[in-house]
Amino acid sequence: MDNETRPFEFVIPISYGSTEVFETGRWSFQKPESLLGWAPCEEACPAGNPIPESIHLIEEGQFREALETILLENPFPGTCGRVCYHPCEEECHRKKFDEPVSINDLERFTYDATLDYDPEFSSFPTRDARRIAIIGAGPCGLSCAYFLSLLGHRVTLFEMEEEPGGILRWGIPEYRLPKEVLRKEVERILSLGVEMKTGMEVGTSFPFEDLKGFDALFLSPGARGSRSLGVKGEESKRVWKGIEFLRKMNSGKRIKAGGEVIVIGGGNTAMDVARSARRLGCSVLVAYRRTEAEMPSLPEEIVEAKEEGVRFEFLIQPVEIKETKRGKVRVKFQRLKRGSVNGERKFLSIPVEGGDVTFEADRVFTAIGEEVDFSWLPESLIENKFVKPESRLWDNRMVLAGGDAIHQPRRVVDAISSGKRAAILMDIHFRGFKKEEILSGIKKGDKGGLSMASYLRGLKSGQWEEPKKVVPYEDLNPLFFKPKERLRNEILPPEERLKGFMEVRRGFKSEEARISASRCFSCGHCNFCFNCYYFCPEGVVFFEPDGSRRVDLNHCKGCGTCSKVCPRHVIEMRAVL
Amino acid sequence: MKFPQQQPHFLRPGHAACPGCGLAIAMKLVLQALGPRTISVIVPSCEGAIGGVYPFTSYGVPTFHSAFEIAAPTAAGIANALKIQGREDIQVVAFAGDGGTFDIGLQSLSGVAKNNDNILYVCLDNEAYMNTGIQVSSATPAYAWTGTTPEGNPRRKKNIMEIMAAHYNPYSATATIGFPQDLQQKILKCKTIRGTKFIHLLSPCPTGWRMPSDLSPEISILAVETKVFPLYEVWEGKRYIINYEPRGLPVEVYLLKQGRFKHLKKEQIEQIQKDVDEEWERLKQKAEQPASISQSLR
Amino acid sequence: MKSFITGNHAVAYGVKLCRTPLIAAYPITPQTAIYEKLSEWEASGELKGIMMRTESEHSAMASCIAASLTGVRTFTATSSQGLALMHEMLHFASGCRVPVVMVNVNRLLAAPWGFWADQLDSLSQRDTGWIQLYCENGQEALDSVIQAYRVAEEVFLPAMISLEAFFVSHAMEPVDIPEQDEVDRFLPPLNLPHRFDVERPGFFVPVVPSELYRDYRHLAQQSMESVKEVAQRVDEAFKKQFGRGYGLGEAVMTEDAELVIVTAGSITSTSRVAVKILREKGYRVGLLKIRYFRPFPREWVQQKLRGKKKIAVIDRNFSLGSGGIFGQELKAALVHSQDHPLIFNYIAGIGGVDVTPETIQDMVLDALKRREPVEESIWIKEG
Repeated sequence: MDNETRPFEFVIPISYGSTEVFETGRWSFQKPESLLGWAPCEEACPAGNPIPESIHLIEEGQFREALETILLENPFPGTCGRVCYHPCEEECHRKKFDEPVSINDLERFTYDATLDYDPEFSSFPTRDARRIAIIGAGPCGLSCAYFLSLLGHRVTLFEMEEEPGGILRWGIPEYRLPKEVLRKEVERILSLGVEMKTGMEVGTSFPFEDLKGFDALFLSPGARGSRSLGVKGEESKRVWKGIEFLRKMNSGKRIKAGGEVIVIGGGNTAMDVARSARRLGCSVLVAYRRTEAEMPSLPEEIVEAKEEGVRFEFLIQPVEIKETKRGKVRVKFQRLKRGSVNGERKFLSIPVEGGDVTFEADRVFTAIGEEVDFSWLPESLIENKFVKPESRLWDNRMVLAGGDAIHQPRRVVDAISSGKRAAILMDIHFRGFKKEEILSGIKKGDKGGLSMASYLRGLKSGQWEEPKKVVPYEDLNPLFFKPKERLRNEILPPEERLKGFMEVRRGFKSEEARISASRCFSCGHCNFCFNCYYFCPEGVVFFEPDGSRRVDLNHCKGCGTCSKVCPRHVIEMRAVL
Repeated sequence: MKFPQQQPHFLRPGHAACPGCGLAIAMKLVLQALGPRTISVIVPSCEGAIGGVYPFTSYGVPTFHSAFEIAAPTAAGIANALKIQGREDIQVVAFAGDGGTFDIGLQSLSGVAKNNDNILYVCLDNEAYMNTGIQVSSATPAYAWTGTTPEGNPRRKKNIMEIMAAHYNPYSATATIGFPQDLQQKILKCKTIRGTKFIHLLSPCPTGWRMPSDLSPEISILAVETKVFPLYEVWEGKRYIINYEPRGLPVEVYLLKQGRFKHLKKEQIEQIQKDVDEEWERLKQKAEQPASISQSLR
Repeated sequence: MKSFITGNHAVAYGVKLCRTPLIAAYPITPQTAIYEKLSEWEASGELKGIMMRTESEHSAMASCIAASLTGVRTFTATSSQGLALMHEMLHFASGCRVPVVMVNVNRLLAAPWGFWADQLDSLSQRDTGWIQLYCENGQEALDSVIQAYRVAEEVFLPAMISLEAFFVSHAMEPVDIPEQDEVDRFLPPLNLPHRFDVERPGFFVPVVPSELYRDYRHLAQQSMESVKEVAQRVDEAFKKQFGRGYGLGEAVMTEDAELVIVTAGSITSTSRVAVKILREKGYRVGLLKIRYFRPFPREWVQQKLRGKKKIAVIDRNFSLGSGGIFGQELKAALVHSQDHPLIFNYIAGIGGVDVTPETIQDMVLDALKRREPVEESIWIKEG
């Protein structure tokens, strides 16, 4: 026979068919399921920042996409990246492994790295757009305006000051938050079509009832008043309210602060005042009634203040302020100690008998907390010295409140969170959705943060997502992680800082950011480590170009390897019935 | 998103390996790195079972199912024939298990390495005769249970890498499925080297190691991290390069996940730790540079 | 051109003339001279190809099988213990249907040790599925190498050519070495249809179900059967081109013979002398030389021995518990013969003992005297 035409199989058996005809998937009693959970950091973030996703994009060098991802949940990455107290890092699972991921610095990086980029926004095409009035253009009001605009509504913002920004504009000093950063982020919000009315004080410029023309109200007036010490001599001209000092400074006014100052308080305002005063050439003593560990301000603020020469006295409380003849003030303090009262476990500051101390200074700043002015509001909206988060006025019109006006932590990110929440709640209300049903699918864990991305997906598809759980540390596979040092931000040396109000922290360079981003465990979020792809003994795990994972279940034997090797618990084995 | 790794597979699904088979992962990764212009040689073992029953096969490259002890000379015959035909761009790879390499095929492998025939030899080490149902081989570690060492293996594992190094062949390396990028990079390296390349590839067998089917990659990583199975290369039989600095976890985290070691006594674990530490020190003395690996683990 | 060379060197010339590019071998007395001669030519560049110096005969055969499946012509040579070590791969080669050609220099198998001629080594591989040829001298060995490639490459079965230790391997004789272009004309380049192909990846030698195994065995047997026809055709062609032929065997003065001696290998040459002497003395004796042992040329033997009353088979080999192996095969071939010949099986030359024309004459006279069948083999212990 001719060799050319003789079939190979005539001589020896050669298999040319593929074993794919065998459905080895029938062997299995379990199948892998993709399952996206929330990371603990994003649960901890009141604003609901998409932390693992944005960090993954940074790692990939896709800084613009990282910015866009954050902007879907939070209009203030440049601001939060500088001033946030970053509860996310407290909850970061990496903290249990070595040190938390530099989430806050990376958020700032997304802003810093994309200065030349203006992402285009398209609001959700809402047919039945509503008009909403927002009172107070601080971080809370601005956020609410931003999200309402994204949801297709029309917003009018009333702000009593000449410029929007609230605490960000008038409170936080330049060396922590450059005004340019704020300006850019506010501009981005306003560019969505928000009507901004500055210099308008409700109750003064026009009566509250004039707001009846709107479909809903959002009240975010902020805490502008300073709490008083309740101490004799406090009305002295040499005793200034810290918040007012900061406002003057942020207005660009020249201030003669004087040589020696005492700052009373231990929060961020106290630190801002103390460090600003140092920059104005003062010698500064901070007096706080509890211990250093109990100071509400950020630990790094205290460290940096000390570096800048701010002195601290702890466990002292002012009892009397007197002006001296030489134009100074003398503050008498009572020394305190920590102790339990009546054998209770709660520790309190107890006066030390006969322990008092007096300091003399040119000026005293008080910074022991701020208050909200409710005088212009109808009484029905007030409850327990706070505005009710939700009420109805005038024919059942929705009135929501947020930020410092309601009972919640007075932090920038909480303000943003309550503004965002209000926007979503209003939209749910306008559309007549069942609130609880939808909230359960868009909440990021149980700490109050909501996912705008989930909400928009629901709006677009009409399908509301199942509630997702926060991935516990035990569900991660730390074998795939190696200890990796957390990079520190470069900080100006103290002597440089004291020369003026330039920003203290340098911020990450691209390479630093990518290295820091690579430390993220990406809990509950696939970041394309490809472990499932590499380790599948059948070779039946694939990634589609859009990033979704596909498993050929006809040939998956259900060994469970992909689930086991997923460092971030994105795959779970489910029994097949 | 980037998907640089998604090259085609040449181990097709539908094969008959047990669920979670380390050997299947190993062959999949090696064949993927080698690419379509490859001829592979396998020997009677689970490789044959994976190959499939006529007329179906899971191998996507031409594959010759040769006899047990001759993976190397079979591959060498093909490689030399290709050279004669001027088809040297085609890679020839021989896959044999630890039995086919450490035991019955050692002589023929040695002959090929001595001649420096242009093949890649991959020893898929699962540390016993698994296809025949778990019998001791000279790759079985000390104290491990097998069907023919019911009281535990009285002898230590043979050091195949030193045997290979003694041939002064251009390249030998250890690798494991637990470090897939390291493995594939080594295979890519082999493609550029002429002569006999040897990869000692630890490929766990969930069935024979008496462990759950989802543990093959993880146990391989632990083998490396405990220094039981260090990742290193030997060039020309003399230049030693350690590819990865292990975390130095205690050996029991590796041992006690496996049923074949569950009977171990404290003294035996201590002895294994001692042996492992000694071997690691010896390796470090031979190695040029401490540890760097291009793959990032996180 | 006639050269005065040993049988081993004649084999080496045959291999070179076939332009065999891949040779894998391992040294063993008395084959080593073939390996050395080919190495010498490889070094000088006269032999274009690769010499694989394997660490054993087993690996040599493994490499030949693999290279053959890749599509190149291959060769190996061995002897005795080496052939026995190869045993596993001999089955594998025929199962893979590779046209590997091998020369085996017949040497006794240990124990006890010895280096001398004995055909048991190759005959004990008779069931491995190889074509087997037995050569009388160096010339035939050379020519058989060339013919074997053509036969093997047509039927896809491996071929083993045997010549006896020292009597043939080391004896120098005038040998006509063919011209290269003549051999090129006779032997086309190897064209193996079932070779490894990266464009059409297949899995060679998979596990097969029982029925399929049976069918492939049957298919191989059909190919082996066809060798009888192919071999004669190839031999005719060879004879036409080179003026020499050997057939499946050779019948010498058998037409009127009352007794036919049956031989294989070098004893044939001795027998030719004995027959001549006996004829001169008036005895009607003939000689049947068996060249192809596998496949056994049953029909040819039946035809050549038709009407014969007495047959004396000489075996330089012995299967314990049975008899001489050529004797057994011949009895089996003639079992249905109408003539019911008396077949005597003489065992001579075991372990390399010299078999002289006188030994054979005595044997013939002994056989002529006998009137009754002898079941047992008759051991010749002279010399």
